[in-house]
Amino acid sequence: MRLELHRIFVNKLAFGEKTGVKDGVLTIDKKELLDLISEDALLGKKLDVDLAMPGDSIRIVPVKDVIEPRWKIEGSGQVFPGMVSDVETVGEGKTLVLSGAAVVTAGKIVRFQEGIIDMSGPGADYTPYSQTCNVVLLLEPSDPGMDKHDYEAACRMAGLKAAAYLARCCAQANADRVDAFEHPNIREAMTLHPGLPKVGYLYMLQTQGLLHDTYLYGVDVKKILPTVVSPLEVMDGAIVSGNCVSACDKNSSYVHQNNPVIADMLKRHGKDFNFVTCIVTNENVTLADKRRSSSFATKLAAMLGLDGMVITEEGFGNPDADLIMNCWKAERLGIKTALLTDEYAGQDGASQSLADSCVEGDACVTAGNANEVIVLPPMKKVLGFAEEANVIAGGWQGSLVPDGTITVELQAITGSTSELGYTKLGAYTL
Amino acid sequence: MVKEIERKLPVVHVCTIVPISQTVGANRIVPAIAIPHPFGDPTRTPEEEKVIRRRLVEKALKALQTEITEQTVFAS
Repeated sequence: MRLELHRIFVNKLAFGEKTGVKDGVLTIDKKELLDLISEDALLGKKLDVDLAMPGDSIRIVPVKDVIEPRWKIEGSGQVFPGMVSDVETVGEGKTLVLSGAAVVTAGKIVRFQEGIIDMSGPGADYTPYSQTCNVVLLLEPSDPGMDKHDYEAACRMAGLKAAAYLARCCAQANADRVDAFEHPNIREAMTLHPGLPKVGYLYMLQTQGLLHDTYLYGVDVKKILPTVVSPLEVMDGAIVSGNCVSACDKNSSYVHQNNPVIADMLKRHGKDFNFVTCIVTNENVTLADKRRSSSFATKLAAMLGLDGMVITEEGFGNPDADLIMNCWKAERLGIKTALLTDEYAGQDGASQSLADSCVEGDACVTAGNANEVIVLPPMKKVLGFAEEANVIAGGWQGSLVPDGTITVELQAITGSTSELGYTKLGAYTL
Repeated sequence: MVKEIERKLPVVHVCTIVPISQTVGANRIVPAIAIPHPFGDPTRTPEEEKVIRRRLVEKALKALQTEITEQTVFAS
């Protein structure tokens, strides 16, 4: 399997008469984009599109999802299969990427499970989406009493449609850079690099229902048994977020498309280890489901003869139990594990970090303490509703004060403790 | 909370994710239905749910009266 990402670098956004890209400027026909997302009868009449650039004094709140504009220009299938495209397999051919641009969907859905993006100031350091040129969709339901599942689906589709549309309109432009990725089939993978350990990636997806859902080729992942997916399929949007869960550690569609664990494992493939495959698994709400999925996922890993696995979690609390079961079940099958998670250790950092643990979990990377408190100074412009800071998880009544300052835990900032490691913040032990 | 109450009173922890309860150190554990609905099941009729609820409460009360010497999951 070979996939080329044809990157066009975007460093500026503008509204204009025709959607397209030139000299790093992504021009957007606002009316055409609004008409496209307004086709959905579930969305209201007062939809809007606004732009937010790195360094702007802009706060976006409440944020649902972030998506990178991509469009396949060669090869089977199309981006976001099973969602805005047909269900055909993706991951091969050529995909155009508007690197540096992002679609941000904003609107009140579950309210406490949306997030904040500051484009400048101290909050900007904690969210990777302060570094992207954001096309912000401000959404509302056509009926205020609409079922939240329907409204979530409408917001999710609006974001994906907009991301596909923006890249599709740029399909004729020449790429600034082409990144090629190759990934062998299992038979080749077994014989390649005989001296190197066989390593897999166990990709845990949040699937608790009640609007905590993730989709694979359009299939609700809580309904699957763990399965094998090529890392290249993930880059074409095979995995899409439908998640309304704490903003800091829900994996946006953008980080699925740009999963840094996959990127790094592909880079080190054939040098430090043999990256055999991704295994996708879920995080469900009954103990039987957790036991079944962890047993099945680790069984797949053992069938493939893996020596080791990187395991990433999504969310926190009871998913910690899935993480720990995946860890000890793999270890007891002779597969070494390294875990990537985040922590909820209290505002003083003194509490237990994870809800569960096991002695086998002795190689663990943290993306930070989500309870750490941060003060976000006022921004000149707010896209959305600043008062949502008072109800977002990580905020409290009084988080927003009259001058526009917001005091919240990092939990409230979109992507601040990404458990895929999509963050520029890190720490070293001296 | 389970552990703090148990300083004074015996406690039964009715919970869905038993391994977390075991890690935290609860002594009497009764497995529940699911995280969003530990004491019920919205896919059943109200009459069936009442039976499920009563069964769980009775199991918890029985666990509370059972002498134990180590961490015990009352599964059956």
